[in-house]
Amino acid sequence: MQAPATPKSQTAPIRPKARVTRRSVLIADRVADWTIRIGGLAIILAVFGIMIFLLQVAIPLFLGASVTGHFQRDIANGAGNPRFVAVDEYNTVGILIGDDGRVSAFHLPTGAALTVNNLDFGGGVATAASRTLDWRDMAFGFADGHVRFARLDPTAGVIAGDSLPPGLTRLANGDSTDGKVVYAAAPGGQYRRIGVGVATDAAQPIAEGAAIVAIDYRVGGTIERPSRAFVTVDSKGVVRLSSAETRMNLLTGAARTTITTATLPPLPVGTQVARVLLTANADQAYVADAGGTVYRYDTRNLNAPVLAETVDLLPRDARLSAFGFLIGEQSLMVAGTDGTVAGYFRLQRESASTGDGYRLIRAHDLEPHAAAVTGFGASQRGKMFVTGTADGLWIRHGTSEQTLLKLSHAESAGGRHVLLSPRDDGVFAFGGDGKVDFWRVSIPHPETTLKTIFGQVWYEGYSEPGYTWQSSAGTDSFEAKLSLIPLIFGTIKGTVYALLFAVPVALLAAIYTSEFLNRRARSVVKPAMEMMASLPSVVLGFIAALILAPIVETWIAAVILAVVVVPLSLLVAAHLWQILPIDWALRLDGVPKLLMIFATVALGVYLATLLGPAFEYVFFAGDFRAWVNGSTGRATPFLFILLFPVSFLAAQLAAERLDLPWLRAIADRTRKDGVVAMLRWLVLLTGSAAIAYGIAEILAALGADLRGGVVGTYVQRNTLIVAFAMGFAVIPIIYTIAEDALNSVPEHLRAASLACGGTPWQTATRVILPTAMSGVFAGIMVGMGRAVGETMIVVMAAGNTPILDWNVFNGLRALSANIAVELPESVKDGTLYRTLFLAALTLFVMTFVINTAAEMIRQRFRKRAFQL
Amino acid sequence: MATVARSIQPDESGTVYHVRAGAEGTVIDVDGFNLFYGKKQALFDITFSVPRGLVCALIGPSGCGKSTLLRCLNRMNDLIDDVTINGDMRIEGHDLYGPGVDVIALRKRMGMVFQKPNPFPMSIFENVVYPLRIDGVRDRNVLEETCERALKGAALWDEAKDRLKESALGLSGGQQQRLCIARAIAADPEVLLMDEPCSALDPIATSKIEELIDELKGRYTIIIVTHNMQQAARVSDNTAFMYLGRLIEFGETEILFTAPKVTKTLDYVTGRFG
Ligand SMILES: Nc1ncnc2c1ncn2[C@@H]1O[C@H](COP(=O)(O)OP(=O)(O)OP(=O)(O)O)[C@@H](O)[C@H]1O
Ligand SMILES: [Mg+2]
Repeated sequence: MQAPATPKSQTAPIRPKARVTRRSVLIADRVADWTIRIGGLAIILAVFGIMIFLLQVAIPLFLGASVTGHFQRDIANGAGNPRFVAVDEYNTVGILIGDDGRVSAFHLPTGAALTVNNLDFGGGVATAASRTLDWRDMAFGFADGHVRFARLDPTAGVIAGDSLPPGLTRLANGDSTDGKVVYAAAPGGQYRRIGVGVATDAAQPIAEGAAIVAIDYRVGGTIERPSRAFVTVDSKGVVRLSSAETRMNLLTGAARTTITTATLPPLPVGTQVARVLLTANADQAYVADAGGTVYRYDTRNLNAPVLAETVDLLPRDARLSAFGFLIGEQSLMVAGTDGTVAGYFRLQRESASTGDGYRLIRAHDLEPHAAAVTGFGASQRGKMFVTGTADGLWIRHGTSEQTLLKLSHAESAGGRHVLLSPRDDGVFAFGGDGKVDFWRVSIPHPETTLKTIFGQVWYEGYSEPGYTWQSSAGTDSFEAKLSLIPLIFGTIKGTVYALLFAVPVALLAAIYTSEFLNRRARSVVKPAMEMMASLPSVVLGFIAALILAPIVETWIAAVILAVVVVPLSLLVAAHLWQILPIDWALRLDGVPKLLMIFATVALGVYLATLLGPAFEYVFFAGDFRAWVNGSTGRATPFLFILLFPVSFLAAQLAAERLDLPWLRAIADRTRKDGVVAMLRWLVLLTGSAAIAYGIAEILAALGADLRGGVVGTYVQRNTLIVAFAMGFAVIPIIYTIAEDALNSVPEHLRAASLACGGTPWQTATRVILPTAMSGVFAGIMVGMGRAVGETMIVVMAAGNTPILDWNVFNGLRALSANIAVELPESVKDGTLYRTLFLAALTLFVMTFVINTAAEMIRQRFRKRAFQL
Repeated sequence: MATVARSIQPDESGTVYHVRAGAEGTVIDVDGFNLFYGKKQALFDITFSVPRGLVCALIGPSGCGKSTLLRCLNRMNDLIDDVTINGDMRIEGHDLYGPGVDVIALRKRMGMVFQKPNPFPMSIFENVVYPLRIDGVRDRNVLEETCERALKGAALWDEAKDRLKESALGLSGGQQQRLCIARAIAADPEVLLMDEPCSALDPIATSKIEELIDELKGRYTIIIVTHNMQQAARVSDNTAFMYLGRLIEFGETEILFTAPKVTKTLDYVTGRFG
């Protein structure tokens, strides 16, 4: 059997020399080149894509409002110049109510008149009137001093398409009517039935014989026991506050109304009352005169009401043209004939020289109109309102102070009546001459501007402008406060404290393992540390929150003590090691030595817990939490604890040059360098402690006190806990990268330094660390990036309080935690939702900036290390 | 003036000696020194003394233990795990491996120049004054004086005096090696250990360093490892020939290269193996 010899095997011994690179190699090279290029581009695109997506969700926050439709109708108006104008929830029916009680209603889109009942005024003509914010309850005052209450109910209901009553007239826009009620097509083949119902109560005598010139009316209580309060001013200038309580007899169904009236302190003679306002629980009454002077009554105690404050809200020559509350009755909006529009808060002020310690303070100045303000209408849902002048209508927001929409050249706009429809989706203006203008508007995010998100905003109930995050609360009139600043601050605070803890530990550990530990011990330590990095952060978070937080809370004094005692015991152990006989030291080197280091740390912790109570007694007057609140003790102890390490390090540096002759004498005599070094160290320690105490005492005498700054009121889940837990997450990262960087410094540099007679520590700090700086720095930055983006630990352990203070014993709320907590419960495309996307974008930008800066600094280090 | 200090007959360890003695006795005395890397023995029963102020060359085939022996002299072997030694090694009568030896101080007395130039990634100035810096010297005048003296000593001053602030990594290989020599002599050591200092250099740089060694002779005791026979012959007074971890012959350079007492040495220096 002979194997046929192939030509290849014949030529095999002499390999033909390739003069051209083989095609397949070229193709492979091309393919690899393009794959890498496309991959890189795809990553950049993906990052930009995410950024653009976030931007695209967040940007509508800052886009203003838009008009989606406008029409004008001439209507047959039976109400003359009406007292009230209203529109139903669906912008279908407009309603006018005249002073004589006549009600006229019309189909808003077409202007077709509807027949409705009138209010029963018994032939009287109202001289004053007021209604609640939702327009349903009205009070009218008459020339004979009587008051009548009335209700307006735009009835709305949904009926199925096949149960439409017969004989309807079709209106131009497709709605139908029977002359009284409008049937408007609704989604799903159904019809919305919209009509107007009115009811009038019997007249109640209030001001005997004097005409009522101003009235304000509030309704509260429950359905069974409604309580109504109203304030009246009569033509003689008497101000009365009355409350009407109606009791329904459950057996007979008869209602009985009792009215109690208190006369408020008199106004100055000759006051021309323009408007009167009452708060919902009837504890404040505001009487405004035509010139803009406001008389504020404190009526919390109805038996002894006081005129608490008299204040001018408008410039001298301006006259009051609008005066009313925004929803929640905390913002008092004032507009004048000079075009001024401003918002006032009633706030407690130390300096207030008023009857009740409160003062009206001008909190918001809005963009002024060029012409006199003629009309004002507040939103029923938020802090939006509309102001009208002869030039047009402006939709504004009271808190953000922004003008959302300017509607100009409306013929009807100069009239008295401008309103925002109940769902804030329409603006309605009635000129009085039968002309009605209606704009359909879309105002998705009236409350946000760049300033409300990144600047200080003066919210209702706050004594000054500030950065606030509070996205939800229990009441309807609640206004979401969406400033990202407390969250950005929380992220920075958590990161700073975590890094303060993590960076020294990680770097020292890295230097120790790379420069001092022998190879065998290193091969144990490094993987162990790397395994720590794989600990899920949610586990760290709940361990921190549920186990660490209570322990630290109980042992806080010991924890603070441990910060000093553990490093000290390590130093003592190091000195004792020096004294150890050399053969012992050699025998124990490696893993046993490492274990002894751990034992020393454990011993330090044990000592700290043992000494904790005594330490608390001596330093913090026996109760750390009372001390940290600032209620007991002096400022010195904490200053001392902070200054001690600093002064010790300074002393060590200074002592490098200092040499004590008597110590050298001992060294020469005993020939025990270890003992001498330790003695010298003890001298330094006590000396620097004394110096630190002295400086702390001086600083305290000068008024320095860290309470209220970096320390303060203790809460269980605080930044200290976060720093520990996040430190655990970050230390392995910084450690691994830094250790790799240190380790990759060429061995010959280490040898060079040691051969020059450098100690391992000198070698590490003067040669290895500077050379590896770019890598070490990269490690710190990667750790920082991780800390900034870390979510679960901060969610669980940080207490999630969005506050702005550096107190390490207080909580924080980070951007990432906030997104995780609030995004699930935010309405898609709502303001909160978009703001959270903006928060995500902010986080993205922060890490982007950090990484870019890090990379730039790293390049500098690298340049310096290798080119100088 | 060649004087034969010890017997030319092999002693117990098999080494043949015909050493030229210096005027001032010996600096380093090694007696029956053994070294093990783990279980593997790298040095066998080394015994020799280095006369003060002379240049001593170490030659031998690759892997015979020259660098190991050199590293033992300033205890750089401490950095390697799992090294055990026995035997006696003394510098000026003090035991190098005795208990309580200050290794740091020892290394300051034994300057070392490595095979590959290893300047620090710092300026030329900082490289030279590094031994002073780690001693805590801060006086600018002292530093500058030392720098100039060391650079002049290493014949680098003229080339480097205008660029002291520049990175040492910008120097050529030969300049870097002279910089390392300058760094070694800035500490003012007693002994200069050089491990193949010229192996990475071109002939011109090599001859500069050889001139330098000639100049330094007398002030320092120099022990130089080299693979270059001509170089050993040119610069050294005594030469030690090592083979497989053993010291075969140690004696006056002239004799060792022209009429070695041991056949193996003859084979090596005539290039019959190596
Ligand atoms: N760190 C080490 N661990 C284990 N064995 C080593 C180590 N360093 C050197 N050796 C071994 O010891 C022996 C002597 O090595 P050494 O480096 O001293 O040789 P050398 O004479 O300097 O060689 P060269 O001329 O190639 O530099 C060699 O067999 C080498 O493999
Ligand atoms: Mg070698």
